Amino acid sequence: MSVQKLGQRIELISMDPHFHDISIGLYRAEGDSPKFRVHSYSGKDGAQERLGFIRDAMVVLGGMEDDGELLSFPCGHAHTASVKRAFLEAGKLSSGDVVAKPLNTIDKKSELTMTAEKLGDGLYGVTAEGEAKGKERRIKVVANGLAKLGEMILVEGRDDHVQFSCQQDHDALTGLLLVRAPNVRALVREEQMASSRGVLSAPSQQ
Amino acid sequence: MSDVAEMKPRDRVLAALKREPVDRTPTCNPTSVATVELMDLVDAPFPEANRDPELMARLAATGYTELGFDTIMPVFSIIQESSAVGCKIQWEQKDNWPTVKMREPIWEKLDDIKIPTDYLLHPDAQCVIKAIEILKREYGDEVAIIGKTMGPWSLAYHCMGVEPFLLMSLDDPDQTKRILEKLKQITVEFGVAQIEAGADALTLPDHATGDLVSGEYYERYLRELHIEFVEKIPIPLILHICGRTVDRMDYIAQTGMSAFHYDSKNEPDESIAITGDRISLVGNINNPETLFSKGPEAVEAEVTKNLEAGVQLIGPECAIPLQTPIENLTVIPDTVKAWHKN
Repeated sequence: MSVQKLGQRIELISMDPHFHDISIGLYRAEGDSPKFRVHSYSGKDGAQERLGFIRDAMVVLGGMEDDGELLSFPCGHAHTASVKRAFLEAGKLSSGDVVAKPLNTIDKKSELTMTAEKLGDGLYGVTAEGEAKGKERRIKVVANGLAKLGEMILVEGRDDHVQFSCQQDHDALTGLLLVRAPNVRALVREEQMASSRGVLSAPSQQ
Repeated sequence: MSDVAEMKPRDRVLAALKREPVDRTPTCNPTSVATVELMDLVDAPFPEANRDPELMARLAATGYTELGFDTIMPVFSIIQESSAVGCKIQWEQKDNWPTVKMREPIWEKLDDIKIPTDYLLHPDAQCVIKAIEILKREYGDEVAIIGKTMGPWSLAYHCMGVEPFLLMSLDDPDQTKRILEKLKQITVEFGVAQIEAGADALTLPDHATGDLVSGEYYERYLRELHIEFVEKIPIPLILHICGRTVDRMDYIAQTGMSAFHYDSKNEPDESIAITGDRISLVGNINNPETLFSKGPEAVEAEVTKNLEAGVQLIGPECAIPLQTPIENLTVIPDTVKAWHKN
């Protein structure tokens, strides 16, 4: 194998704990329509099967389509932040059956059950079930989290409505993002730490 | 377009280090261009590729075979000889750099310094020497093989800790100078061992960095030592100091070093205005923001800026982040070649 022109790398799992610590990249392929490639330079036996598992998991978790080589969303839009999330979450799974996330999740901070209600045309309304102090605030936090993680649009004048820019429904993806939406700050911290690994600093900075 | 006939990568690099005519500006990495993806490509991951000469050589060669640089630089880390003299090392994993545990210094003062007589035989020193031998056997005179030997200021940080050593430099300049005098033995001996193994040039990092040490400090403590290295190590030396260093570039240019590997905190124009034709500059594509986080267009812009300023050798400013995308590295030689065609 040699270095290949794979497009622009947009995300990287630097060490896959589930398969010999290989590195797996997510690339946006060249071309007019947004399509994505999962690739590793590892030649280890079983590496292609592992990539196949991750692709399959992205199909389930992100509601993506796989043409056997490249992944894309049925709406034809890039949704770059979302595809990165689907890739990273797929990479956290070792093997076995992958099930799409439901459109509700428990918010650990408030114990409320947060639901993303499908309202059509890519619009989702966030509701909360249960009793807790600051319920409205938690709804706003989750809606903001979805907007940030999925690059969704916050509907003007509403603290609880978000919409995909393509105006098409993405239930699986919304379910996936919803799990992380209540605590985006922790996720950002986690990702900053991951990306700062491998940056060599001068002895004076160590 | 240059009037000079097409050169082999090694000849191109060595000529540029002497500021002699070249067919085109060479691309040079005085420090590591290893990435986690390249480790996978040749099955030579960290930390093993810092400790096994076969793996070290195999990973380093990708800088030439896959990325298209005119150099191969196998000494990825800055800790090999420090490990050999007894420093404690955190070897880390594939996606992180080995580091010296500087909070657990091995020496406190001049009298403590006992350089083991057989430190060049230590596996972590031998790894570098053998990797260079392998690369020389494989690539001969085709590509420039660059070794690395750490300067005494960096070695003092590693062996005595950054803070204690800096405080000593304020409180006890005489002892500080004597420590540097003693540690220079390692710099020279490890450098010469790499020359005997086949290195064409050596990077000499000496971390009198812009953030902690002034230009006046460089002049006081290091300039004379660096002149001495030029006299004692008989191949081109590339001094590497991170950070903003324009306040010491004039001193550096007086040392006789072949090149200065400079950081993106210094503008190419202002740097070459100081160094002129006294010393070549190598650099200075930004690592954390450009190579790691941006795309090929941003890299291309920085390469072009260096070429237009007349920088003699183009490359990243320091060891690149291990997660750097490969497409941001291959664009460096591509841009240099395209610029010379226009």
